[in-house]
Amino acid sequence: MAFDAIFQPIEIGKLTIRNRVVSTAHAEVHATDGGMTTERYVRYYEEKAKGGCGLSICGGSSVVSIDSPQGWWSSVNLATDRIIPHFQNLADAVHKHGGKIMIQITHMGRRSRWDGYDWSTLLSPSGIREPVHRSTCKTIEEEDIWRIIGDFAQAARRAKEGGLDGVELSAVHQHLIDQFWSPRVNKREDQWGGSFENRMRFGMEVLKAVRAEVGDDFVVGMRICGDEFHPDGLSHEDMKQIAAYYDATGQVDFFGVIGSGCDTHNTLANVIPNMSYPPEPFLHLAAGIKEVVSVPVIHAQNIKDPNQAQRILEGGYVDLVGMTRAQIADPHMIAKIKMGQVDQIKQCVGANYCIDRQYQGLDVLCIQNAATSREYMGLPHIIEKSEGPKRKVVVVGGGPGGMEAARVAAERGHDVTLFEAAEALGGQITIAAQAPQRDQIAGITRWYQLELARLNVDLRLGTRADEATLLDLRPDIVVLATGGHPFLEQDPQWGYSENPEESLVVSTWDILSGKVAPGKNVLIYDTICEFSGLSAADYLADKGAKVEIVTDDIKPGAAVGGTTFPTYYRSLYEKEVIMSSDLLLHKVYREGDGLVAVLENEYTGALEERVVDQVVVENGVRPDEGLYYALKAQSRNKGQVDLEALYAIQPQPCLSEAGDGFLLFRLGDCTAPRNTHAAIYDALRICKDF
Amino acid sequence: MLETLLPILIFSALGVAVIGAWRRVRLWRQGRPSAVPLLKGLAAMPRRYLVDLHHVVGRDKVMSNTHVATAGGFVAAAVLMTLVHGLGLANPWLGGLLLLASATMFVGSLFVARRRRNPPARLSRGPWMRLPRSLMAFSLGVFAITLPAVGILPAGFGHWLLGLLLAAVVAWGLAEMVVGMTWGGPMKHAFAGALHLAFHRRPERFSTKAGGEGRSTGLKALDLEDPSAPLGVETPADFTWNQLLGFDACVQCGRCEAVCPAFAAGQPLNPKKLIQDMVVGMAGGSDAHYAGSPHPSQGLGGKPVGEHHGTPHGPIVAREGKALVDAETLWSCTTCRACVEECPMMIEHVDAIVDMRRFLTLERGETPNKAPEVLDNLIATDNPGGFAPGARMHWAADLDLPLIADLQQVDVLLWLGDGAFDMRNQRTLRALVKVLRAAGVDFAVLGNEERDSGDVARRLGDEATFQSLARRNIATLAQYRFQHIVTCDPHSFHVLGNEYGELGGHYRVYHHSTYIAELYESGRLAFRPWKGGSVTYHDPCYLGRYNGEYEAPRNVLRALGIQVSEMERSGFRSRCCGGGGGAPITDIPGKRRIPDMRMNDVEATGASLVAVGCPQCTAMLEGVVDAGAEVRDIAELVADALVARPAVGAFDATRRPQAEEVI
Repeated sequence: MAFDAIFQPIEIGKLTIRNRVVSTAHAEVHATDGGMTTERYVRYYEEKAKGGCGLSICGGSSVVSIDSPQGWWSSVNLATDRIIPHFQNLADAVHKHGGKIMIQITHMGRRSRWDGYDWSTLLSPSGIREPVHRSTCKTIEEEDIWRIIGDFAQAARRAKEGGLDGVELSAVHQHLIDQFWSPRVNKREDQWGGSFENRMRFGMEVLKAVRAEVGDDFVVGMRICGDEFHPDGLSHEDMKQIAAYYDATGQVDFFGVIGSGCDTHNTLANVIPNMSYPPEPFLHLAAGIKEVVSVPVIHAQNIKDPNQAQRILEGGYVDLVGMTRAQIADPHMIAKIKMGQVDQIKQCVGANYCIDRQYQGLDVLCIQNAATSREYMGLPHIIEKSEGPKRKVVVVGGGPGGMEAARVAAERGHDVTLFEAAEALGGQITIAAQAPQRDQIAGITRWYQLELARLNVDLRLGTRADEATLLDLRPDIVVLATGGHPFLEQDPQWGYSENPEESLVVSTWDILSGKVAPGKNVLIYDTICEFSGLSAADYLADKGAKVEIVTDDIKPGAAVGGTTFPTYYRSLYEKEVIMSSDLLLHKVYREGDGLVAVLENEYTGALEERVVDQVVVENGVRPDEGLYYALKAQSRNKGQVDLEALYAIQPQPCLSEAGDGFLLFRLGDCTAPRNTHAAIYDALRICKDF
Repeated sequence: MLETLLPILIFSALGVAVIGAWRRVRLWRQGRPSAVPLLKGLAAMPRRYLVDLHHVVGRDKVMSNTHVATAGGFVAAAVLMTLVHGLGLANPWLGGLLLLASATMFVGSLFVARRRRNPPARLSRGPWMRLPRSLMAFSLGVFAITLPAVGILPAGFGHWLLGLLLAAVVAWGLAEMVVGMTWGGPMKHAFAGALHLAFHRRPERFSTKAGGEGRSTGLKALDLEDPSAPLGVETPADFTWNQLLGFDACVQCGRCEAVCPAFAAGQPLNPKKLIQDMVVGMAGGSDAHYAGSPHPSQGLGGKPVGEHHGTPHGPIVAREGKALVDAETLWSCTTCRACVEECPMMIEHVDAIVDMRRFLTLERGETPNKAPEVLDNLIATDNPGGFAPGARMHWAADLDLPLIADLQQVDVLLWLGDGAFDMRNQRTLRALVKVLRAAGVDFAVLGNEERDSGDVARRLGDEATFQSLARRNIATLAQYRFQHIVTCDPHSFHVLGNEYGELGGHYRVYHHSTYIAELYESGRLAFRPWKGGSVTYHDPCYLGRYNGEYEAPRNVLRALGIQVSEMERSGFRSRCCGGGGGAPITDIPGKRRIPDMRMNDVEATGASLVAVGCPQCTAMLEGVVDAGAEVRDIAELVADALVARPAVGAFDATRRPQAEEVI
């Protein structure tokens, strides 16, 4: 039986998990009501259970104590009995679908911020500052230690009384327990530091107190690191010793293992490996821990594909696979395997939109699945067929918004035609995928290609739709997702011209798409500071160009998220790309065979020059609105989207109004330039009621 | 002159016929003994003929009436003729009746002639083509010679040459109709057929006056303890004598051929030809005189006749080269019973095929293709897929299914079948669990104590493995108390209900569609109205033809608000999905695939969904590439339509809501 290793149930403690797939703990950032799990939170986990997930461990970094702030990531607050009835809703919703649910509980120690909410004094074994959160902290006192141990036990009790199936003690990502473990952070000389036993003591007391509180019929696991990857931190051998030491108590029901420490920007990027990493890069660390413990081991990190999961489980490296982002992208992944619809699984591409939002304190969303974590609003993962009339829907533009619009309309049962001027689907995704380390983003397009073929959407590739072509099809609905073009014409001083022979600047699209050959000595001016500038720099450097990337913002790539800018930086520094900030592109002019770029310091107004052979400008996108205005006046709704209905996830009123002619909607960048998620979200919420 | 000639002709014909009968009986007696009550059988024969046989024949009204006229006319004419012309009882009343009888027969023979003018492909040619003329000769001849007997024509009318001509015509008629009955020829069917009805090896398949249903579809067990009993059938003489008699009754009407899915798919099996092969073997000789459609053959129109030959005591299937039948012919059968259902002569094709398969599997170990692997799996793991026996309940890890071992006593034992290992069927099982729970049924499962029912092993001829599985299942079931067994697998349903009895296991078994229909009728289930598109229903062979359950699944669909668009081949004429009898395992190639044909049947109704009630059918039909219709089990449709139960009450940390997800 295919995937039999995935579907082999397993006992954790006294709990039977129906399969080997886990959604591991992550901050959802939408338990917004003072740390109480909201309707949104419950529906998010219910959807995973409905989709077949065996075990969800919710509430990454959920706090047990009042002085471990929960507000920054809206994590769950287990420091109060108020949480118990909320847990009951959550537990029922998941159990109803045969899933199991546990929660990660922790005290963050120094790994937080103090400048908000209760203005807490953060705590750490030796008061050493944490760089990622810029957090200073107090040296923890004996009284604090015993108070927090008691808080852990009470938090576990609340989880049990709330009907959850277990708790995971977080001793990973430099939370308080592993702050005590790591000699890099724990410099104490009392009974809580120094020797191995002393460093282990805090975690051991927590474990004992929790187990004493909840008894044997409640799962208690530990999430640990497999190797901190710091010379002065815990090595893999250290971690094996630690795991064996706790395992020997017989009180730990499972270990979750993560490769890499987490208290620097560079190590943090390892923890949630983005698309630049190979599959399961740290499996060997988890397998090493499995060698020395007697209970099941869970491992998550870049396990995205059911075949990969089957291979890992069949090989016996670990007992359960965490497929967390995989199920953020497609909470119905397991159900689709069971339905024989593996090709229909929307696979995570490692864009890390989810986790990068989390690190900005924003709710976790999926770059390619707009329904995820919006289940409570009624946005569907499985689109039901319409019971209304079958409509002729014409979509213009095969980027993410257009592809989603075509997919959703086709799932609704309509007759859908999609026009794309390029020879292939994908839009800007196709361009983005050309950069080194970014090729996997094309997975978004790959899924749509399969889905649109399965749904028999009439694809007109290499065809630029004009007004006459569209009207010839006698559409009921026209959806424009025509995107835009690089905005190089903003400042005439840059010397942009539509004639490539005359233009002094080119766009990142020109570079990445291969339309313009890479120069040898290139200046990139990137005022946007997102992926495209860094990607172009990485691409050009990869082709052997000398590259300087300049921005007027704080630093190049400033708007790229916390798990992704480090992997760009690794590559750019290695290729000796120069990164400069605070400089505006004032003017470009030709001099001899070369170009001179004049840069102006934002703060002093001083001008400086660069002599290069290519100037690349990244200044965002301007919408392509021509077709929209050609059609607008003829359309029944004059191209207008009812915003009240849109934001309330209600059907567009014009869909149910009678009348002649077609309805016109536009979405994505051809309305206003935003990102992939925005385009897909627009498409889903407009088209789901067609 | 005729007065002298006719008695001589009549009594010589009868005399020769008696000798022929004796020779024919000797052929049948080559077979092994079979304990059937002879006198009781003879007594039951008229009813079996008039009720059961005519029930089948009557499906074709024209042919039925034709046969009534021809055969009825003939039997009456033959008796009256013996009285009037043989014994010289020249009573005008008898003569009048004889005229009427022969006239009726003549009318019938006109219809026979009409059918033979442009006969459908399923009908055999050869001697059968002369039958209408023989019938006319007999009926016209008898009519003519009887005219003087009633005084319509004067005695001694006409020239003596005319008399001689009439005598010759009557002699022709007698030769075909009386002598031919026992010596061979088309009329053999009347003699063999009548005795076959009387001595049928499945007397229980006939209806009774008391209203008995008359169904007997379970295979008969081999006595593995008896060292003298052969393991299956190697030679024609290894059949029981009444099986041989049954083969001899074949009228070569080809109704079996017309409904056989393997034949339609171009696999090398024509059930009619197979029966004729047995007749050839019983008498010894070659199939050169066979005049019907041959067994299909890849690349050729069909296997050429004249190349196969056999003797009563020679092997049916050669170890090398050709004998009476090629092994692939036997392995093409899906055991769907369409042939048996259609056979007006009540011949048991499937029994014969399995008998011959038993020999090939048990004595020669020549089960083809994947079958040895499947049988090895069954021996080693108690399931055909060779899955770890402990994995049988993995699909239900989140359902908290009660184990009967824990409860000892329940109303319903839910028999899972080996679909428990199949991801597709697990959805059906989960749906069924949801339905049972919604109806508040007290049920439990055997869990890992369950074993394969033995269906596939038995149909592949491995009677030993079947009996081993069956006896162990029976021993397991004997430990527990339950009212009845419910299963979503018609094969388990059939084997548990109809084949375990002979080995000591007697249970009331329900197919889930029957059980769901009863739950609905007793008000324990409520459904949302159907919103989907048009639906057709595919009758699983082992539910329909094997067990006569055609209505319950349709009742359930009706209860869901579905109006079934019936396929042309539905109900007792349903076409097999191709999945029975181990056919997907032996996998004999043909020109098309049976499930493809079945999905074409589905698509011809315009249905967007085909409802099924069998894991095997689901697998076969879903395996069709680019099929236009969705395949769903009835349990899934019911589970989808269940009206949600009222919300649960106050939270209780010790109570877990029961998982009800279907996927």
